[in-house]
Amino acid sequence: MPFKTPNALLHGTLDALILKTLTTGPRHGYAIAKFIEDASDESVVVEEGSLYPALYRMERRGWLEAEWGESELGRRAKLYRLTPDGRAQLKAETAAWRQFATGVSKILLAQST
Amino acid sequence: MKRSLRSWLWRVPLDQEVDEEIAFHIEMRTRELVDEGLDPRIAREMVLARLGDVNRLRRTCVDLGRKRDREMRVTRWIGERRDDVRFALRQLKVSPAFTAVAAITLALGIGANSAMFALADATLMRPLPYPDPDRLVMVWERAPTFPRVPVSPVTLLDLEEQTRTFEGFGGINMGIGGGPLLEGTDGTLQSVDRQFVTTRFFDVLGVRPVAGRTFVPGEAKGKGAAVVVMSEGLWRTRFGGDLSLIGREVRLNGEPFTVIGVVPDVVQLQRPARIWTLLADSPPGLSQVAVARGARSLQIVGRLKAGVTLEAARADLAALGERLSRDYPATHKGWSMNAEPLRAAVMGPELQLTSLFLFGVVGFVLLLCCANVANLLLARGSVRSRELALRAALGAGRSRIAAQLLTESLVLATFGGLLGLGVGATILRVASTRIPAGLLPAAASLGFDARVVFFCAAASFMAGVLFGLVPAWQAARTSLVQAIASESRSATRRGGRFRHLIVAGEVAAAVLLLCGAGLLLRTLLAVGDFDPGYRADGDTVLTLDFSLPAPRPATRYPSFQALMSFYEETARQVSALAGVKTIGWTTGLPYGDSELPPQRVAIVGDPPVARDYLPLADFQAVSPGYFTTLDLPVTTGRSFTDLDTNEGTPVCIVSEAFARSLLGGRNPIGLRINVEPLFPGFDVPAVWEIVGVARQVKGRMSDPEDRPMVYVPLAQYPWTDTFLVVQSLDGPVGRLLAPIREVVARIDRNVPVRRERTLTDLANSRTAPHRFRAAIVATFAGLALALAMVGIFGVLAYSVEQRTRELGVRIALGATATSVLSLVLGSAARVIAAGTVVGLVAAAGLGQLISMFLFGVKPLDPVTYASVAGVLAVTAALAAAAPAIRATRVDPVEAFRNE
Repeated sequence: MPFKTPNALLHGTLDALILKTLTTGPRHGYAIAKFIEDASDESVVVEEGSLYPALYRMERRGWLEAEWGESELGRRAKLYRLTPDGRAQLKAETAAWRQFATGVSKILLAQST
Repeated sequence: MKRSLRSWLWRVPLDQEVDEEIAFHIEMRTRELVDEGLDPRIAREMVLARLGDVNRLRRTCVDLGRKRDREMRVTRWIGERRDDVRFALRQLKVSPAFTAVAAITLALGIGANSAMFALADATLMRPLPYPDPDRLVMVWERAPTFPRVPVSPVTLLDLEEQTRTFEGFGGINMGIGGGPLLEGTDGTLQSVDRQFVTTRFFDVLGVRPVAGRTFVPGEAKGKGAAVVVMSEGLWRTRFGGDLSLIGREVRLNGEPFTVIGVVPDVVQLQRPARIWTLLADSPPGLSQVAVARGARSLQIVGRLKAGVTLEAARADLAALGERLSRDYPATHKGWSMNAEPLRAAVMGPELQLTSLFLFGVVGFVLLLCCANVANLLLARGSVRSRELALRAALGAGRSRIAAQLLTESLVLATFGGLLGLGVGATILRVASTRIPAGLLPAAASLGFDARVVFFCAAASFMAGVLFGLVPAWQAARTSLVQAIASESRSATRRGGRFRHLIVAGEVAAAVLLLCGAGLLLRTLLAVGDFDPGYRADGDTVLTLDFSLPAPRPATRYPSFQALMSFYEETARQVSALAGVKTIGWTTGLPYGDSELPPQRVAIVGDPPVARDYLPLADFQAVSPGYFTTLDLPVTTGRSFTDLDTNEGTPVCIVSEAFARSLLGGRNPIGLRINVEPLFPGFDVPAVWEIVGVARQVKGRMSDPEDRPMVYVPLAQYPWTDTFLVVQSLDGPVGRLLAPIREVVARIDRNVPVRRERTLTDLANSRTAPHRFRAAIVATFAGLALALAMVGIFGVLAYSVEQRTRELGVRIALGATATSVLSLVLGSAARVIAAGTVVGLVAAAGLGQLISMFLFGVKPLDPVTYASVAGVLAVTAALAAAAPAIRATRVDPVEAFRNE
């Protein structure tokens, strides 16, 4: 089943995932979405209505920069690349996520036992 | 930078960018489904369905993209400016000589302007340091012949009762400077400047005391009136800022006064003052004494009610003036009342005009500085034209290059401004010690503060734009092909015309300033070259300012006559000191210092004249020794002798101006004049017989002509406030000061010896404002001349440099040195001559503006104008000499080898 009910992803989490995705190199929007879905075993579904605004927003903030490059199919595609600012942001988001996740699991795991 | 550059190079319209990106996404998703085995048409529909409202997505993205682009433009702009600044700094570092010359030139101009701005600001713009200063005015009476006369205490009561537009009035008697002896806590005595004020004075100004309180209404009566307010400066220096001083007693001339408060130093209006005591309230019924209305001794500060205009207040005062002249014709016939803003009254028109004038002068100097720097930049711009062309070839737009050049100018101006701050602060520090005493009133604060720094920054920016625009515009106009192909020659030609214009302007400005300086220097010669009247060498005559207590029963000086014993005893003991040649007592000095007001005189036997229309004469009581001490010859008749006592016939000596202007050619000797006593109860003769004529001495600088003077014997007109004049046997008189003070302290230690000045000091104070103005203007005119000279030299040297090849050809073809000289100098001479003519014409036009500062010379003085033209010609010739000689020495072989 390729399509699932879209998850309501928090802005910050989506941003962090995009940043993380781009650490392996420049990608276009579709590739970013695909990578996130594949890497999460399709447990995370990226909604286009959130993905592209997020990309434009992050470009505006200077976390990403865009350039026109060639796609796998030999077509012109807009490629996104991580900037040093974006790298720093990823670091901060990862740290925040770790803290949040630890906190949440502490509670949830305690309840279940 | 990288990001912005990329987005700039890969310019794709935003709409297209978003459309393409979304289309690509849809296609990829569809392909993914097709690969899984779906029908392409169904796959596409599924993708679109999942995508939802594509248009909304588009709009959101375009919106965000637009914001992104806008921010990027700003970032890019800032980045470009930062790069420009960095590049400019590198450029300036590459040519340190150019940078230093330009920055120092600018620093001089900006510094001078900042310093003079401080002066102009303090006198013209800065509000007085009191609350609501716009509502403060000074009230004057206008005499039939003189616009500003102080007001009598009785008239002050009328002002308070009969005007509707004022919140209140304060009266102040500024005196002539000097003051009583204040006894410190350690018993030492010090003379401090005092002013007498009415109880409301401080309230009207809106002064808040630093400690204690100021005067309260009704306090000026009886014993309670012996209270004193002192300035913060005196309180801190003399009493260590001790708060417990409030309520304690201090002694003024030996009499007890209670200190009630301390006020800020800014309270000093016009003259310096360190303590304020109360003017006695007018006794009841005084307003009925006709003559009391004529005792005009108070300067009146008024505070307008909120919302009242100056015009309304003037109308109010005029109505009162009319009533007074109707009701009291004896003292007010032909008089009226007027008010002017307090700042104008405090600063005075001469000071305000002086600051404006000096500000204008340095303004021209700054223009000259800008012109020279612009010239330097133009010359450099021509040299750099190949570099600029290269940058243009690499894709830099013209506006981009112009912006770069303008940035360089602004960076240069910033350097100049920073240095200029230092220069300005230095000028101000030096100048404020040179400003003649009395030119700047105490309420004016001259300092290097935030306002001056702000002005300095603004001036630097303006200067940067001014001298930077020309080269920037020049560069923006230069065509790429032209610049590279013709190797800068065409740019040079156009720059050459510019430079000639600039130099002509510089010459004109220098000529203008030189004319101003010349007129002021001629004035200085004229005022320094006056005949003071007395013959004594000014350095050998010392004057000391004495103030004896007002006579009162049961004291050491029960009557005015009792004062004479002090004068006689002091004269006897001082005369006996080693090194003293002669001494004398007087109530007045040459150059206008006087302890007695001018008096109205009538010639006995002449037809009667209304009192207000009687002539005024300076009135001076002197001992016989006065004339010998000053070597002031009595040319006709006799001098005073020791026999002219209060028992003898009242006699007087008049000055030459008196005899000339008031006696209508009659023989003065034997004529009698009538002089009213200063105040009722002052027991002095009214009629005086003229026994001699003394040579005229000079009065105040502001006197348009010599003033008629009357001398009477001190023994017949004993007065409390006097000057002791002492002539030394030989050499400087200063060393006599200490022994004289000892003698006086022995006789009566409560008598203050106030200021001591030599006759030379007095003479200098007369010329001080002229010297101050002339020194400043001459300095800046000299600077202007030097700048113009540098400008001429620079332009000529540069043009010879550029024309080396052409000159080489001419010389190779047999041109003589003379013809080369005339070729090079011809155009320069035309430029300089044009500038000189413009400058002279401008000077003739503007000369009228400074006629107030001129004395003994007309604004259109041909000698000045001719000398300025001469000085400029010589200077220009000097500046042109080196480049011209260099032109004749061009070696044709060298000139071609360079190519």
